[in-house]
Amino acid sequence: MTAVAMTVNGKPVAADVEPRLLLVQFLRENLRLTGTHVGCDTSQCGACVVHLNGRAIKSCTMLAVSCEGAQVTTIEGLASEAQLHPMQEAFREHHALQCGFCTPGMIMAAVDMVYRKGSELDETTIRDELEGNLCRCTGYHNIVKAVAAGARAMGARQTGRAA
Amino acid sequence: MNTGIGQPVRRREDFRFITGSGQYTDDINRPGQGYAVFVRSPHAHATIRKIDVAAATKAPGVLGIFTGKDLAADKIGTLACGWMVLSKDGSPMRAGVHPVLALEKVRYVGDHLAVVIAETMNQAHDAAELVSVDYDVHAAVVDLGSAQQSGKPQIHAEAPNNTVYQWHLGDKAAVDAAFAKAKHVTRIDLVNNRLIPNAMEPRAAIAEYDRGSGGYTVYTTSQNPHLTRLVLSAFMGIAPENKLRVIAPDVGGGFGSKIFIYAEEVVCAWACRKVGRPVKWVAERTESFLADAHGRDHATTAEAAMDGNGKILAVRVKTKANLGAYLSTFASAVPTYLYAPLLSGQYDIPAIYCEVDGVYTNTAPVDAYRGAGRPEAAFVIERLVEVAAREMGIDPAEFRMRNFIRSFPHQTPVIMNYDVGDYPVCMKKALEMADYAGLAARKAKSAKAGRLRGVGFSAYIEACGIAPSRAAGSLGAGVGGWESAEVRVNMAGTVEVLTGSHSHGQGHETTFAQLVSHRLGIPMEQISIVHGDTDKVQMGMGTYGSRSAAVGMSAISVALDRVVTKATKVASRCMEVPEGTVDFQDGVFAARGTNKSMAFGEVALQAYVAHKFDSAEIEPGLKEGAFYDPTNFTFPSGVHIAEVEIDPETGVTTIDRWTAIDDFGTIINPMIVEGQVHGGIAQGIG
Repeated sequence: MTAVAMTVNGKPVAADVEPRLLLVQFLRENLRLTGTHVGCDTSQCGACVVHLNGRAIKSCTMLAVSCEGAQVTTIEGLASEAQLHPMQEAFREHHALQCGFCTPGMIMAAVDMVYRKGSELDETTIRDELEGNLCRCTGYHNIVKAVAAGARAMGARQTGRAA
Repeated sequence: MNTGIGQPVRRREDFRFITGSGQYTDDINRPGQGYAVFVRSPHAHATIRKIDVAAATKAPGVLGIFTGKDLAADKIGTLACGWMVLSKDGSPMRAGVHPVLALEKVRYVGDHLAVVIAETMNQAHDAAELVSVDYDVHAAVVDLGSAQQSGKPQIHAEAPNNTVYQWHLGDKAAVDAAFAKAKHVTRIDLVNNRLIPNAMEPRAAIAEYDRGSGGYTVYTTSQNPHLTRLVLSAFMGIAPENKLRVIAPDVGGGFGSKIFIYAEEVVCAWACRKVGRPVKWVAERTESFLADAHGRDHATTAEAAMDGNGKILAVRVKTKANLGAYLSTFASAVPTYLYAPLLSGQYDIPAIYCEVDGVYTNTAPVDAYRGAGRPEAAFVIERLVEVAAREMGIDPAEFRMRNFIRSFPHQTPVIMNYDVGDYPVCMKKALEMADYAGLAARKAKSAKAGRLRGVGFSAYIEACGIAPSRAAGSLGAGVGGWESAEVRVNMAGTVEVLTGSHSHGQGHETTFAQLVSHRLGIPMEQISIVHGDTDKVQMGMGTYGSRSAAVGMSAISVALDRVVTKATKVASRCMEVPEGTVDFQDGVFAARGTNKSMAFGEVALQAYVAHKFDSAEIEPGLKEGAFYDPTNFTFPSGVHIAEVEIDPETGVTTIDRWTAIDDFGTIINPMIVEGQVHGGIAQGIG
């Protein structure tokens, strides 16, 4: 067992874990943060996307012990209790989810996209950037609309680090 | 905002999904749970000489290792197919035995050999790697075209020439006669490739046994928890239904693949008592590819006979359907009764004859996938009319128009009776929206740039909502096609609606509540939709075959009628007016010709207070249920036009435009329906 400590959604956490424990297992099983999902366990589907030190990563392909000292944000930590994040609002408003399984990863990837690319995102950019996030229900059409609208709303509210 | 029928109400279920608060099966954990990992066959076809678990049993954390022999010793049943299909000669289909864990042979890569249950998932994986299996490997049958030839390896002793059935439908003599007098005959060969449904959420199950009550609880990724309970109880012998609770919580997509009862949930349900611990299994994506039921996989020869004007006189279809290595829960029905009755498409075809051979191969089982049989039929008839039109030099849209059914009800030669439709109007609208008239110019422009351009049509029809139970039974179905609902009105006027339908992305919590809100005139916030738990909902058939709106909501509608009828009686007594003078509208019971009225909530309260009426005449309370059995399928239809451009140098294909005109009748929530169409198109494109 190896000791690991990190900050998850603003709270310090520490545990002794197997060195092979994945970050997603640590989040889901040790911390019971089950909003981060495992869809493919091979880094393809993006259901497990969280933010590590402000960048989107696939938590099914990251060892928990390699996140020593890191700042992790999951879907549960994206917004305050009182108010949804603009990207969450946009996904609901534009019917960008059906079964909801891919949704947390989609939203985390979309927020990261705005951090990197700014709040004015065209369709081509959004589709290219979401290559690593799969959805089987929606056909992506409404997800693209939601990400564009969510990005604009983030820009308007000047939340996060939007350019 | 108006939340009634026809409004694009935003989904009530979304809050939990966008905040990570959904509860899927893998999000559920039970105290002391062990983790199951399955040992699977790496061979497509082999006899099992020996399974050696000695080393694995000694591995750290192992709670139990079981093989098919252990299940057999406990008299656990085998996995059955629930639809009997008879061959042309009247003989029953030849189904091979499908053990939950393989006994003598493995028949496809991924077939289940043993289960390892350990304290942690990693320990279960480690131990599973120590299970050693000695195989006598056989040649495998993987080619559908040649699987039935004599001399090929036999997959099941019960099914000579790997043939499950040789089924047919229609009037062969009438079809032969029509072909004999045809001016033009078109013949095509088609492959409808196998595909893997791949819902985003992998299948999962957790089962626990409560020694105190003798009851079992199984959480599983199911589209139909009551069917799972029925099979686990009546066919597997895990426990009687009253001691077995099946919960299908949030389910991350199904597309058919989560209808069926698989080995894994049976093993978890059985093993939890053996090891004295809750047992949890979650599929890895690799397992989803290997062992979830696949879809489609047809090889078809189709022919159409036309007169000189392009009027179709008859259609003849011969299909080989790959059913995989075992018959999955509804496998036999998909390429027969869910397929051939749709071969008339939107066309007035006097005679149709279809033959289907169900074939075993050493591949993963094939069962219902998105549309299940009906899209396969649409593919056949649409390719056939397209090629026929081109061969006869008739514009493909015009060819379709000439053959559309124009009067309703329409009895096809293959069982179906279409109640209503207007196919030409959809086609005209689609042609206009797709700018079909401008296609030639766009084609020329593409050609100039060295690219190819073309359009494809699909003028489809779908039979939605599995048909009357009695009719389905006469065709071999093992279960009925009804749905149940219960409407429970609480004292203060809030309403719980229990439905046997199951939502795994369809948004029932919203659409069903819209119906109830519309009918009772109360806000959606006062309405809860309860589904997916056999201890809450008494009985249900689940969600598949496009049946939840047509059948599930109809059951709710009937139950609502009964609630209103009873509430009207209660209101009349409370207002002291004759029953026949009370009208119910927009949530208010009003006595005609008076200024007396009562809100729905007041009447609900009075129904429970029960002071204002004679309980011998009206029972206290306000709760009504219904089992709704449809009298027919519903027949949504439409026209889709895909216009694509291909770069012949690179093969890159771009969908330039996709036009969809769909006639779905009354739409409850257009936003959700459009979302379903988007998703269907994306899965169709692949």
